[in-house]
Amino acid sequence: MIALTVLMTVSAVSVSAQNKDRRKSFQSWDNYEITTEKVGVDGTKFVKVWGFGKTVDAAVMNAKENAVHACIFRGIPGSATAMSTPPICPNPDTLVSNEDYFQTFFAPGGPYLAYVSMTTDGVPSGTDKRKVKGGYKVGIYVQVMYDNLKRKLEHDGIARKLSSGF
Amino acid sequence: MLKRVFIIAIAVLASSVQLAAQAKVRDVVTSDYNRNSVSFVVIQRGDSNDSATSAAVAAFNPGAKFDINNIRTKSVRIRKSRDEAVLQTEVNEAVAATPFARDILGAIFNRDSNGMMDDKTVRYRGNYDAKDQDVINARAARIGEDALGDLGYALVKGSYVVLVDYYDIERHVDKKGNVSYSTSARGYAYRIGLDDGTMNDFYEQCWIYDDDDQATRSAKLTAFQNLAIDMVPVASASSYSSSETVQGAASKCLSGIVTGLENNISAWEVAVAIVGTKPLRAKIGTKEDLYNGARYRAYSYTEDNNGNLKSVPRGYLRATEISSNTGMSIGETEPSEFYQISGLANIEEGWTIKQSNDARIGVMLGPRFGAPGSVMVGLDADWLLNVSTNGTMQYVLGTLALDLGNLNYAPILIGLGYGYGLHLTRLFEFMPYGLLGLDHIGVSSGDESNDRFLRESALVLEPGIRLCANVAYPLQVFSKMGFDVVLPLGDLYRYYNNYVGHQTGLAVEFGAKWTF
Repeated sequence: MIALTVLMTVSAVSVSAQNKDRRKSFQSWDNYEITTEKVGVDGTKFVKVWGFGKTVDAAVMNAKENAVHACIFRGIPGSATAMSTPPICPNPDTLVSNEDYFQTFFAPGGPYLAYVSMTTDGVPSGTDKRKVKGGYKVGIYVQVMYDNLKRKLEHDGIARKLSSGF
Repeated sequence: MLKRVFIIAIAVLASSVQLAAQAKVRDVVTSDYNRNSVSFVVIQRGDSNDSATSAAVAAFNPGAKFDINNIRTKSVRIRKSRDEAVLQTEVNEAVAATPFARDILGAIFNRDSNGMMDDKTVRYRGNYDAKDQDVINARAARIGEDALGDLGYALVKGSYVVLVDYYDIERHVDKKGNVSYSTSARGYAYRIGLDDGTMNDFYEQCWIYDDDDQATRSAKLTAFQNLAIDMVPVASASSYSSSETVQGAASKCLSGIVTGLENNISAWEVAVAIVGTKPLRAKIGTKEDLYNGARYRAYSYTEDNNGNLKSVPRGYLRATEISSNTGMSIGETEPSEFYQISGLANIEEGWTIKQSNDARIGVMLGPRFGAPGSVMVGLDADWLLNVSTNGTMQYVLGTLALDLGNLNYAPILIGLGYGYGLHLTRLFEFMPYGLLGLDHIGVSSGDESNDRFLRESALVLEPGIRLCANVAYPLQVFSKMGFDVVLPLGDLYRYYNNYVGHQTGLAVEFGAKWTF
């Protein structure tokens, strides 16, 4: 009984610490590279994005999160062949004021995955897969379903519809 | 004084360390490999061998990994005796005096007699060079797969001219009156000196459109004639060969020159990512002239705290099963298979492998004890015939051993054989083998009979086993044990062997092996 209690206490403390870490990293989430690869097919953005993780798979997941994050909060820079894309939520306070929503949205296996698909041939390779201190840094090609993502955020009341100002 | 010397020494050391570090950062091996195009041009000397050497170069095909630019200039002339090679400076002068860059652009853009050009070749090459990732990217982009042809524009910068010089052409006649020729050859490779700026100038100033008026056309024709684009010397390589004809010898040299240039021009070395393990697989094949036993080196990548990218060598591997990929990519290229032959770590998916040519010849040196002589020094060689994905390797073996204890009788063992290497791990090779050879005891005498050599020899059969272990590949250590069956062929061998004492028995040899 005592052992069970200790175990539950330890796991509760551990989960609490993880949540705290996640919340902290959530608010400072801006440290990644993203570039527009080409003009994507209608309603999509075709980008190369970098992610970091303890394993290659974790880094790939992080890169996917970053791609969706960039579309929502940062915007996507232009390139020689494509114009830049503004963020869906240009208000810098959106993340903080809707933190619970985005915690759920970006949770592991969360809804964000419906709006991003990897177009890298196989696993990240060559210079796109780098061993760095504490894990791997990978660069992947992804297609973000930008229009669908925007509609979802508008529907959920996170992003303002263009028509809402009129 | 001492203090000043000390400070200067520290400063020199620090700067050299910094330079070395910078060089390391620069020398990152990447998997960015694109097809190159090449033209071979012969250097004529104005002598009777010009026609044979020109014919050899004109008929040469460097292989499937290169596109051929069919340029108008097929030869340049440097007046100099063939007794000596031309100098790099002399070749540079000849290249500067010839409009190679103009020739190349004219060939790539199919320029006709009216100065009209098109991009059919460029677009074809772009499609042909496209990798699976390019195809997938094109599908994800609005412009679609039509954009793959555009990749060909970047390939124009990978255009090379190789000038081939033949020298020391010699005629040989053997005792039976058979004639043969030998020649040395050296190839000088030059890359077209194009950048984005000069390419744009070329398109703007030289490209004639259907609706251009006559004055504009004339101006563009003149601009093309005045086009001044340098050819940049990148590397040179030598070769030597012989044949029954001068043209035959000249032809044989050319593939050696291409291999030598591949080793010196990084852009010519095929590089690609590993796409699967167990077995190791990579998306290259016949299009890149991959062959069984071709050696590649694996690299992984790290980033230091400053974000500097480094490529880390991780061992060698050899191609085993070669896929046929000579069609256009549709995003599902069949990979070829490889077997890892060195390196402590297992090669991982995503690592880069880069062509690292070798002759597939291992040379071994070491002492040999037992039979047929008691103490001998052995010089062995093996030539790799074939590698399979499960790590078996077939070799042709050669052996030469000199009996150090009886040098007055010059006893020497020579043999040829076959070995079948098995790899339980990549670090060790276990090889059963069989050798057939001659043990010869050669004492100077006035005997000039035709069968003297055989009368002084014994047939040697040597079945055995050999074990090789990687130390720091291509350096290995080896040990072999065989049982020599000595069968005298003649009376002289039996007579001299009374003094030399060669006999049937167990032979043990060990030493070091280096693979070239």
